[in-house]
Amino acid sequence: MPTKEEVFEKVRDALVEALGVDEEEVTPEATLVGDLGAESIDFLDIVFRLEKAFDIKIPRGELFPEDVLTNADYVADGKVTEMGLAELRKRMPFANLDEFEKNPVVQDFGNVLTVADMCRFLETKVEVTD
Amino acid sequence: MRFEGQTAIVTGGSRGIGRACIKQLASEGARVALVDLCDLEEAQGLIEELKDAPGQVHPYQADVSDADQVRKLVDDLFEQWERIDVLVNSAGIVKDGLMGTMTDEQWQAVINVNLTGSYNFCRAVTQPMMMNRKGAIVNMSSTGAEFPSRGQANYAASKGGINGLTKALAKELASRNIRVNAVAPGMIETGMSAAVRGLVGPKLKEIIPLKRIGQPEDVARVVAFLASDDAAYITGQVLRVDGGLSLGGY
Repeated sequence: MPTKEEVFEKVRDALVEALGVDEEEVTPEATLVGDLGAESIDFLDIVFRLEKAFDIKIPRGELFPEDVLTNADYVADGKVTEMGLAELRKRMPFANLDEFEKNPVVQDFGNVLTVADMCRFLETKVEVTD
Repeated sequence: MRFEGQTAIVTGGSRGIGRACIKQLASEGARVALVDLCDLEEAQGLIEELKDAPGQVHPYQADVSDADQVRKLVDDLFEQWERIDVLVNSAGIVKDGLMGTMTDEQWQAVINVNLTGSYNFCRAVTQPMMMNRKGAIVNMSSTGAEFPSRGQANYAASKGGINGLTKALAKELASRNIRVNAVAPGMIETGMSAAVRGLVGPKLKEIIPLKRIGQPEDVARVVAFLASDDAAYITGQVLRVDGGLSLGGY
């Protein structure tokens, strides 16, 4: 049973390998897209590495909801609709969407997901000790 | 040996071009998964033939058009081998018919095996190759995609799709050092082309600039080149192997 610290270390290692960033750059507050420069192909790579590191399966779209951000039902005029925001809240209970919801421009979504959010997500998938 | 220590999956490996690809890769040190739907007796013959080759060949039965079967096979191979370096999507069928009388079954069967089968395997190997930060995929197109024969609308459509799939995937995976290319064979002496070759007869050799029908080994050597580090700077290409047939003119 990993500790929260061990979860963070595995997440950090996956991000370092997938994104080619330095360990020091991967802080809990760092955003995946804004700070660490992740692109869509990177999300897939990250998910693969996390699945292997934690020996779990992560259904596509559960951690990175790209399908919501590219769905005409959830996006209009470059902004996420109310329906889209509801879907994001449902899919990402581990993330803080308060700031994003004030002005939900799709292109700004990259500044939402942080390393800490990812750790919280994984803590829902594996049992952790403190 | 270009593929020593590497693993490869070759679909449609029991016969024709796929069989030749397996011989080439195994002779260059690759551990190869021979994947075919049909009875694996022919595969056993190939395995026996290659028993002293530097690489090893292991047969697996799977329907390339069944996404679940493909995913399970690739997951099992990755679990066992811990790496998948090369994928050769060689499985292909023809079910010719003029458009006015073509059945839905003829159309769909060819699309399912030739195009969807390649898509299924490409998708399944993406994870292992991304984890390894390296891979080479070689899809089997055909000169028939651009220079089709009558009665082969389904085949031409499937191979045209392979060309698009190859280029799109090459762009998508390049940042992970996964190269995706295709070979487009012309008239090759295989069981699949026997009917067409029988119809056209000796005329064919006259119109092919290199004056001969191609052999499966001619294609296999190009597949091996594209799969190897000798082609490290080549991706997103469809390479014709046709003796000059597509040059046209006089």
